[in-house]
Amino acid sequence: MNIETLKIVAADIILWIAFACFLVVALRNSISLLQLAIAGWVFSTRIEPSESARELWRRYADLALPVSVIAPAFNEELSIVQSVKALLALEHPDHEIIVVNDGSADSTLDVLIEAFDMEPADLPQLAELQKTRILGTYSSRRFANLLVVDKENGRKADAVNAGIGFARTPLICIIDADSIIETDGLLRASEPFMFDDGKLVAVGGAVRIANGCTIKGGALQKIGISKGMLPRFQVVEYLRAFLMARVAHAHTNTLMLISGAFGLFRRSTLIEVGGYRHDTVGEDLELVVRLHRHMREQNRDYQIAFVPDIVCWTEAPAELGGLDNQRGRWQQGAMETLQRHRRMIFNPRYGRIGMLAMPQIVLEDILGPPAELAGYLVLPAAALLGLLSPWMALAFFFVSVVFGCALSVGTLALEEKQLRRTPSARDLTKLGIAAVVENFGYRQINLWYRLGGIKRFFRNDTTWAAVPRVGLGNE
Amino acid sequence: MNVYQNVIIGTAVLATSIMLVFMLLVFRRYLSERADAKRDQIDRAITKSYLRRVAGYPYDNAKSWTKARRLSAIMRILPLLRGGERERLLQIVELDGVMGSILRRSHSLREAERVTAIRHLQRIRSEVCIGRLRELLARDPSPRVQLEAAFALAASESLPPPRETMRILGMLDRPPKRIDVALLRATAPHYREQMVLLLEGDLSRQWRAKIIDSLGWSGDMRVLPFLERSANDLDPEIRCAVLRASAKLNHPGAAELVLRALKDREDAVRIQAVNACATLGLKEATGTLLQMRHDEQLWVRLRVDQALRKLSTRSQEPAQLRAVG
Repeated sequence: MNIETLKIVAADIILWIAFACFLVVALRNSISLLQLAIAGWVFSTRIEPSESARELWRRYADLALPVSVIAPAFNEELSIVQSVKALLALEHPDHEIIVVNDGSADSTLDVLIEAFDMEPADLPQLAELQKTRILGTYSSRRFANLLVVDKENGRKADAVNAGIGFARTPLICIIDADSIIETDGLLRASEPFMFDDGKLVAVGGAVRIANGCTIKGGALQKIGISKGMLPRFQVVEYLRAFLMARVAHAHTNTLMLISGAFGLFRRSTLIEVGGYRHDTVGEDLELVVRLHRHMREQNRDYQIAFVPDIVCWTEAPAELGGLDNQRGRWQQGAMETLQRHRRMIFNPRYGRIGMLAMPQIVLEDILGPPAELAGYLVLPAAALLGLLSPWMALAFFFVSVVFGCALSVGTLALEEKQLRRTPSARDLTKLGIAAVVENFGYRQINLWYRLGGIKRFFRNDTTWAAVPRVGLGNE
Repeated sequence: MNVYQNVIIGTAVLATSIMLVFMLLVFRRYLSERADAKRDQIDRAITKSYLRRVAGYPYDNAKSWTKARRLSAIMRILPLLRGGERERLLQIVELDGVMGSILRRSHSLREAERVTAIRHLQRIRSEVCIGRLRELLARDPSPRVQLEAAFALAASESLPPPRETMRILGMLDRPPKRIDVALLRATAPHYREQMVLLLEGDLSRQWRAKIIDSLGWSGDMRVLPFLERSANDLDPEIRCAVLRASAKLNHPGAAELVLRALKDREDAVRIQAVNACATLGLKEATGTLLQMRHDEQLWVRLRVDQALRKLSTRSQEPAQLRAVG
């Protein structure tokens, strides 16, 4: 084989890579555009929740299924009292709070005992799903619906599993310790169960970034926009994920992810599948995929719904280090889930989940990030070398970056038209600018962090580092 | 033009259109924020004008006030008025053509618009509104709109008889949902006898149980003998519904059947009986409940603990519990 032949082979390889990158990115964005259109249709035809419709629920409160809210807590001594007070104040006819102290090294447990007048209680654990030892259970003398479970340190999945075991209600709401639930968020999220004839197994709710908002006493006082660009980019990202992708997925009955920050599940189904897995860093995605798999393998008619109204606010990492850690973990979690449930991919036995939803995760999480990142390098280089038309390189830029801007701005327009939760025109403009700017740098950095997650997956790295946060209201 | 040029142009057109829509929305929000103060002023003026009209004083009535603004002012005032004042305001609503706009909206082709109209009709609750709501319940092509109309009628205590409601909403063709139970419960105080008649017909056991459950919400103690008879039904679901209804009626006459059910062979029935003991405050059940702390079923034991706690709180006599427990 001479040099000329090698050159031709190399050129062919570069061309194929370029075409593949172009195709993957174009396909991803076409799916996103379709999702935006579906979300637009869903929002424009949806019947908004009304105050008067809830009149009947108030009158017949016992018809609302009781809910256990499980709040795992690890070293939360500074904020736990306020968080629990906010949870106790949630609007719902019948809810209990189960705080799981996940072996905190600080005085989280003592603070709880003192603030809520807790006493040791011999509460029976109805299902043992956790891997670690339960050290004690406490009930409050002042609040009949507050329980605390003290256990050895595990991870969030283990803490939640311990909480599920102590829950005695038909519904379980799983939140993060730093989630801020809207006062009527629990009620809104549980409303689909009122219309349900037994098929509904889980409901997800829209989560939004709380950085820049005014938080007092563990509750949201005023919506605001962060001063930093990084949280603003994430506001746009969350809107895209929750208002566009998940609304479209739920509408087509292919919802594959219920955020760990807020999710409502039928207790019996959670126990059937064994709760969260302990050996993955993407336990929230894995749980929903496993729910789909379990229900389909048993040929059971089921539904996983999504409430597009915002039910929960969460803090986003304000520094690149935290973002790197978070995105790497999400990527690794997605790959672990795909590996574990690989037989579902393109398997007609799993219906639209196997044929559409799982391949879409492959496209988004396995092929997407490396293809787009490679495209940024290969296409301009190939055009400069004269291997492909400069129009193709320019078209790649349009398909990835310009199309990305359009999708982000389109989601903002959807939010403004349908939900109107951005406080002012000024804030909306700030988010509009962030939606455009994020495509020049932030998007690419994110792809790089996701490659880090792929590397961690192949190294089988199971270490888990907390995402550093500045604390809500401390900006 | 090659395919890539088409892709570029297509993407550019799409992105520009979306950007323009977004900019229009931002501009609309900006204008709306600037007009906030003026809008508040107009709202205050409309509210004042309606209150003066209701009381019979001279009033301002600017033609520039839109029907939408008038409607929102009326919706704010309505819950504050009672009796004659409310009647007068409803007459004025019709004279100003505001009612006409709501009724037109209730004929919209869009389902969401019709539901919004239903919510306005529910809040006004005049005879015209109730009539239109009944029409929507009976004839709207969308089941969701029919359900919303049923909700609105239930909130106004104007639902048609249960047999009609069940037929219109096609309830018997599907398993009962919680929302159906809410509607049946709303019907029960007005149609107790008809509900009992329904139970004499050919109904599935699921629906029988739901209707019996709803009888508890009738507030009529004459259903107790019927509940007493049904307490011996072979179907545990029916026996559970009897206990829920008895607890809701909160009449001492139900004590006997509740105490008997504590010894039922089905754990689901025993759980309902335990709950009913707590609701009715049946201190005479304490002895049996203490024995039931050793029931073979975990869920029964859990409910017994809860019921004993409730009963001991009520009676303020925890000494007996401590001595035994």
